[in-house]
Order: sequence, then C-alpha cells, then structure tokens
Amino acid sequence: MRFRAKIVDLACLNHFSRIINTIAKLAKTCILRLTVCKLYFILSDKVANGGASMWCELSQGNFFDEFQMEGVAAEHNEIYLEFVPENLWRALKTAQSAKAVKIKLTNKHCPCLRVAVELPSLSSSSRVVTHDIPVGVIPRRMWNDFREPSVPDFDVSIYLPVLKTMKSVVERMKNLSNFIVIEANLSGEMNLKIETDLVSVTTHFKDLGNPPWASEDGCQSSAQGRDLESMAEACIDIKKLQQLLAGQQVNPTKALCNIVHKRIIHFILLHEEVSLQYFIPAIA
Amino acid sequence: MLVCSSHPCFSSITAGQLGASPVRRRSSHPSPSVLPVFRCVNVLERNVEKCSICTSPSEQHITFQLLCRHGVVKTYNLTFQECDPLQAVFAKHMCPNILKVHSRLLADVMIHFPSSQEEITLSVTPVKVCFKSYTEEDTDFSRTMLTEIQLSPEEFDYFQVGVDSEVTFCLKELRGLLAFAEAVSVPVSVHSDRSGRPIAFSIEDLLLEASFILATLCEAEKEAEPACCPRPRDSSRTGMDKSDQTSMEGASNAGTATSKKPQQKGNTPSTDPAKPSSALAKQEVKNIPRGTERDGPGRAGAATAQAAAGEATEAPYAKFHSLFFGAVSYKEKAIGGTFQSLVTASDTEEELGALQSSPVL
Repeated sequence: MRFRAKIVDLACLNHFSRIINTIAKLAKTCILRLTVCKLYFILSDKVANGGASMWCELSQGNFFDEFQMEGVAAEHNEIYLEFVPENLWRALKTAQSAKAVKIKLTNKHCPCLRVAVELPSLSSSSRVVTHDIPVGVIPRRMWNDFREPSVPDFDVSIYLPVLKTMKSVVERMKNLSNFIVIEANLSGEMNLKIETDLVSVTTHFKDLGNPPWASEDGCQSSAQGRDLESMAEACIDIKKLQQLLAGQQVNPTKALCNIVHKRIIHFILLHEEVSLQYFIPAIA
Repeated sequence: MLVCSSHPCFSSITAGQLGASPVRRRSSHPSPSVLPVFRCVNVLERNVEKCSICTSPSEQHITFQLLCRHGVVKTYNLTFQECDPLQAVFAKHMCPNILKVHSRLLADVMIHFPSSQEEITLSVTPVKVCFKSYTEEDTDFSRTMLTEIQLSPEEFDYFQVGVDSEVTFCLKELRGLLAFAEAVSVPVSVHSDRSGRPIAFSIEDLLLEASFILATLCEAEKEAEPACCPRPRDSSRTGMDKSDQTSMEGASNAGTATSKKPQQKGNTPSTDPAKPSSALAKQEVKNIPRGTERDGPGRAGAATAQAAAGEATEAPYAKFHSLFFGAVSYKEKAIGGTFQSLVTASDTEEELGALQSSPVL
C-alpha cells in the first residue's frame, strides 16, 4: 500500500483545508477512502455517531499536483484509512503560506499520514514542518460497511434557504431546544420549528424551489402525485444540523435536502469540486 | 512585570507572590494580584500620568498609585508576605550552545504545536536545529499526533553549537515568555547544554533584562559527569510511576530575573550581582523540595510563585530584582521530597547585603 500526494497551489491548499475543517466539524473520527481518481470522507451510521452519516467526495485532480496511490491489491486498488480529521486540520491550518505540502502514508511506529509542510524562510533553505497523524488501516473485509449510501425514497425534495440565514436561525433555536423539526412541501415552502414547554418558535421560508429529480423508470413514487401543499417533516437533533451549517464557510453551488417523512433528512451540498451528503435520522 | 521607581523605601519584597498568585488580604476576600492594576494598557496610556509604587516596612502592604488626568488618583493596596529569597545559580556564559534569534521566529515555530502540548524537545547539531513533540518510550503512537520543525542555522542571528544535544523542557513556559518577548520585540538568546542541564532564554533591551531558566529532562542514558549534571533520582524516567512523571520529570522551574537598569548609562548588565561567580565553578546542587500547595494537578511546570527578590545594594545602582520560580510537583511529599534543583540558596551573601540566606526547606 502506498500513497503520496503533493499540493503546491495555495488556492488549492486553502480550499482543501476548508474541506477538512468542515469534515472535522462533522465527525470526530472518519474514514478516508483513496482511489486513483478520488478521495472520499465517510462516516457510517453507527450508534456512536448518533445515527448520522456522511459521504464527501472530491476529485483529487482538482487539488493535488501529484497524486500516486497503490491499493491493497491490483484488483482492489483502494486504501481505506480511519483517522481523526481534526489532526489533519491542525496540520493544514498553519500551512497557509506554504511553498508545498506533501502527504505520505508511512509506517514508523504505526501507520501514519505524514504531512510535510515546506514553509518559506529567511534563509536559503526552507523551514520544514512535519506532522505525523496516526491512522488505522481498514482491512478489505470491512470495506462493505462504507459503501455510498443511496438516495432515500424521499417524500419532499427542496432547496435550502441561504445557508447563512439558516445557520443564524438554527443557532438561536439551539439555545432553546435540543430538537428541531424541519418540514417542507413541494411548493417551495419550508418551516423550521422548535417547541418547548414555554415557547414554540417557527421560522417560515418561501419560494425556495424544488429540485427536479429525473425519475428512473418513473419510480419516484413517493414524490409523484403528492399534494403540493402537504408537508413532510422530521424531527432531528438540532446540534447535528448546527454542526453541518457551521462547517459551511463558502456558499455551495447547490444546497438541498430530501425529507423522508418522520424517518430521515438527507442533505446534499454541492460545490464545484466537492460534494457532501449528510444524513440525519429522525428522532422517534 | 513591574515598572519600578527607585524609591528609597523599597525593601525586600516577594514580588513573585504579588505577580503570580492571589495575595490574601486581611479581609475575607482574596485580593487579586498586581496584574489587574496594569491590565488595560490602552487605558493606562490614555489616562495615567504617573505611577508611584511604595511600601512601608511597618505595614504589610505595597501601594500602587496611578495618578491620572483630571486629578483622579487610583490607589491599590496589596498585601504581601516576605519570604526567603532564592536565586538561580546558572552560568549562562558557560553553555556550549548559544542561539540568538528574534522572538517572532520562535513564536512562528511554536504555533505548529497544539496548545495542549506540554513538553517540547529541542535538538541542536552544527547543521540543524529541530523542535519536536516530546515522546517517551511508552507514548501511544497510534493516538498521538507528532510534530517536528527543522530550521537551518542560517535562520539564527547567532548560532553556536559546541555539543550536539537534545533537551526537553516545558513548552507552556516558553510560550509565556515568548509572548512577553514579542511585546517588547527583542531578540531571544537561548543558552543550552546537554540534557539535564538548564536551558536559559534571555531577552535584553534598553530598559530591561530578563532571564528565564528552565529545567530540562535528564535522560539517564545520556547523563554527563555527575559533577555537572544534577544527580538523577533513582526514579529516573523509566522507573517512575507514570503519574509522577508529568509532575516531576518535565520539571520546569521558570526562574525569571528581571532588572531595570537605572538612568545612569555607566552600568554594564553583565555584572549581575545576583549571580555570585564563585558558585559557578562547581555547581553544587542541593536538593530543595519546594512548597507546592498551589500547583495545578499533574501539570509540569505549573508556576507556583516561590518568589524571591533581592535588592542589589551595589552603589550606585538601584536595581530591583525579582525572581519568579515555578515549583514543580504537588506530589513531592509522596515521593519523599528529594528533588533535583537548579536553585540553591545563594552562598555568598556578602555581596548581597540585605538578603537573608535561604534555609533548605
């Protein structure tokens, strides 16, 4: 198993660091899946994560100037590593003026991602900062646990409001309640509701628009023929929603959510070079 | 950080207690330390015209008076306790390794380490300087992120390496002094030796001179001649109970000697009367257990102010010395109280006049 990659362009480095920061806010530990063309950050829906799961996918060519990997075997040319994204974020955070950043999989005391940051210095030779981030190698027999989740059979799909607005609303609601209800319909209306013994607060959004999903074999049966005004809702942990919104520093090109009534909410955030899917299950 | 006026009624004051720990007043409310008096620099610069500091031997308090504009006078009375002075006996000029670099560079290096990193290892050779996270034999590498920074000798304003060495000391103390150095914006000189020998960080400018002397970890395998190295305890590193390690091994005595030069230009800072030269030839180290009641649990180098201050009585100087010490272990009683110490009671009292000798506690 081998992996080495290099980023030289500062804009790419900055963008990559921001993605890592977003991931770090969503997951304490996650899986990094490396293939020849792509990187994936995966959080599977275990109880430990509160049932939330994440799938983030980016094309390595958009970020790395050099990227070489050799998987566990020729016919399984992939590497799955478990790591703490916060560590990677810490290593990249102070590299924002770097001449180059190299990442390599090594095994000194234990498997590590070695991040070597070459910084400019006053002297002729650069300053080199090396961070060894411990990783766990996931054996091939467990790779099935980390397959891409399928889009659920949703009742309503709707574009999200401006994330900045949604974030500030949710942050204030977080002070009042631990749970939030998101409800939306196919007329582009969404409500965020919280309810406690003392107070209930609802924020209404209109004219959001509903994304057109191409039906495969006309199979989006839940959504078809559905009353346009009828709301689908799910009550979720407000902290998870807040973490998702807090991690978004840049406005995505597209942001939408799919609601399965009282079951799960599936968020999709698309940027030019990276897509992020986040699933938050409904509280029973 | 005290701004001193050479007032005739100064006596030996345990400035460290004032500066670094709560000082108890007669009333039931614990009084804050000196810092709040001088905390708001902007406010001070705008409003304060003069600051006067004085004390009277009869009363057990020191008075800070800020004479502000419009006739406003703010008076702060802080109680203090006298205690016996201690001094670090350490010959900086005898260190084989001397590095001098602007504090900004060191600060830029330290940001790469997590703020929770307690100890850092500095490794110097004639061709490179390296700061790295400190690890022990039983560090769990599968859980620990390690960071290492390499610098070339060219980055230093002055670079002298007489002996290859790797010394480990408390990063938190270093961060504190770097923040101070940056505020003053001066270069920092680093004097070091083999592991186990102290490392000194000094800064100097027109108005002040400060030395921070930190203990370094003594690696038993790398022990130098016993005469020069503080005698390692039997519980040298590997033999010690893990819980003791953080408090004892990463021992960091932060000793700070700060002196303000008086107006006369004729002074040479090197003639520091607080360091009697006779003691340097043979560094006799006494084991002085330190009172550590106020130490934060488990944290190496948590500073408890065991301060001492001496007034230099060398005419015509009116220097004010204050010495801050970080005590090391809150568990030292459990261990039996033998401690390596860089600090000895000053043996040659005659130069220091009014100082009392420090009893071994």
